[in-house]
Amino acid sequence: MSSVSRVPDTAATRLSRLLALVPWLTAHEGVTIDEAAAHFDVSPEQLQNDLWLLICTGRPGHMHGDLVDIQFWDEDGRITVLDAQTLDRPLRLSPDEAASLLVALRVLAQVPGPHDRVALAGATSKLETAAGEALAAADGVTVTVDTTRDPAVSEAVTRALAESRRLHLSYVGSLDERTERDVDPMRVLTLEGRTYLEAWCRRAEAVRTFRLDRIERAELLDVAAEVPEDAAPVDLGAGALRPEGAPVTLALAPEVAWIAEENPVDSVTDLGGGRLRVVMPVADERWLVRLLLRVGSSVTVLDRPDVLERVRAEARAALAAYGDDA
Amino acid sequence: MSQKDRTERLLNLLFALMASARPVPKHVLREAIDAYRESPSEEAFERMFERDKDELRSMGVPVETVEGSDGVGGVEGYRVAADAYALPAVDFTADELAVLGLAARVWEQASLGPAAQRAVQKLEALGSGAVVDGPVGIETRIATAEPSFPVLLEAVRTRRVVRFDYRKPGEDAPEPREVQPWGVASRRGHWYLVGHDVARGAARVFRLSRVVGAAAVYGEPGSYDVPEGINVVGMIAASAPRPGALTARIRVASGRAHGLRRRAESTTPDGDGDLLVVPYSDDEAMAADVVGLGAAAVVLEPESLRSAVVRRLRAAAGQGAA
Repeated sequence: MSSVSRVPDTAATRLSRLLALVPWLTAHEGVTIDEAAAHFDVSPEQLQNDLWLLICTGRPGHMHGDLVDIQFWDEDGRITVLDAQTLDRPLRLSPDEAASLLVALRVLAQVPGPHDRVALAGATSKLETAAGEALAAADGVTVTVDTTRDPAVSEAVTRALAESRRLHLSYVGSLDERTERDVDPMRVLTLEGRTYLEAWCRRAEAVRTFRLDRIERAELLDVAAEVPEDAAPVDLGAGALRPEGAPVTLALAPEVAWIAEENPVDSVTDLGGGRLRVVMPVADERWLVRLLLRVGSSVTVLDRPDVLERVRAEARAALAAYGDDA
Repeated sequence: MSQKDRTERLLNLLFALMASARPVPKHVLREAIDAYRESPSEEAFERMFERDKDELRSMGVPVETVEGSDGVGGVEGYRVAADAYALPAVDFTADELAVLGLAARVWEQASLGPAAQRAVQKLEALGSGAVVDGPVGIETRIATAEPSFPVLLEAVRTRRVVRFDYRKPGEDAPEPREVQPWGVASRRGHWYLVGHDVARGAARVFRLSRVVGAAAVYGEPGSYDVPEGINVVGMIAASAPRPGALTARIRVASGRAHGLRRRAESTTPDGDGDLLVVPYSDDEAMAADVVGLGAAAVVLEPESLRSAVVRRLRAAAGQGAA
């Protein structure tokens, strides 16, 4: 397993590792200290310290035969467990541990993609059995994600990824305009409760993410996908879905405070009386114009007078369509 | 107390509790473990022992408290049964190990990330193989940016009452709430707590991003029952606005207004655009949706909706009272 960074151990983290270490070493007789350290993602020095700690513990009395016995001072650095005492099997899963994997597996079951459905069902049912009472903790956490309701879109995306084939998409973006494009699929992504197709877009000649519920039609083409080698996948850390664009500063009246909850924002300042000042990135000015038409005077644009002129022009054009020559 | 000393003490306590099938009395534990024997007072030992016991339990160690059989009550001792301790043997196939690797990455950088890593260590210690950490054309992430998440999860798990300050959007100040939690749930990327609001005497849905400051559990574990058959997701969905019983006829430009088109009951070609029949529940909310489309969507009926849209457009055009 890899992890992002090594944080200092707490007693619980270290104990948890020690309790997994003994049965793992028992199942992998003759591994080296370096191999074991790599597996548990600690330094070889830390792993040796863990082993020293283990062989100093055991049943009360600490007489010969009461202690854990592990040999690890051979020149070749190989480890042999001679007496695991009562630690020969791993500790059962804690409620949080059971919940973490089971909730994740249940989310994966909701999402279309090339992952193995049979293996997913098998891993889930085995884990549910192994979790025992800890299973209840997983049932207290429910995660639902939005995906497409169109089985044809699901199937086309899944097959395109599994078979590395090009797709033709009819896609309605956040500006409510339909576009037609060919894309070479990279991954299915589930982020912030929604599901996306990450693909090399041949129209934009760039990596793009397409919300599955906004794909109106997906056609599997008889063409092999060609994702350029330097196509950079989306960084899945925080802010992965932040729009690329200049930020705009808005003052929000209390009745439209939801704008700060429903959109990626760079900062929120409390102005008192339920009013907020938000700085939010805007990828396309047309999106901002639509928002301002929607919410009227509840939002004040603090730093972009030019946008207000566009809002007025749009409103006048719409009034003309109502036969109202404002 | 260093981390090493504490780890050693916990490990020795675990060995002592597993050493015999009979419960071990507390005074025997105090004698058997160096750190307990050397603690300066009975109170200091008691505190240390309680904390250690809780720590072992939170890791999943089933520490059993055995009541005395003499009829006067009181605790005879403590034990950890070997069968209850051990993770049942399960044998995962290579494909299942790959799926588990995918699942273990879901909470990366989130509250349950470390728990997922520990779970993987335990499953791998069963010896059926290593959890595969490779790309498989799909990645899922669940974020838990809300600081109250771990506390509320713990409260749900142990059925303990929780208190927090809660601020709805547009309200000036937060209000204190006291809730018996039934479950936490994520929908459209937002976390919610569902439970019984004690002061209001009714079920409520709380959005975690609106919890101000820290949430705190209090009271005894298992202090209330979760009603049977509750549908947490349904309750959250019901707390959001829904389409209603009213119907609008709206003319939309060709190739535009796809959001409205998806909501429409029927679509009929009309000149160089389409005529939609769209169900809705509230004139003002619907007017807000339509007005954002500008000239691409024109309401024909009902008059109440049409005038709500025109009023908003006039305000946006810079005339009339805003």
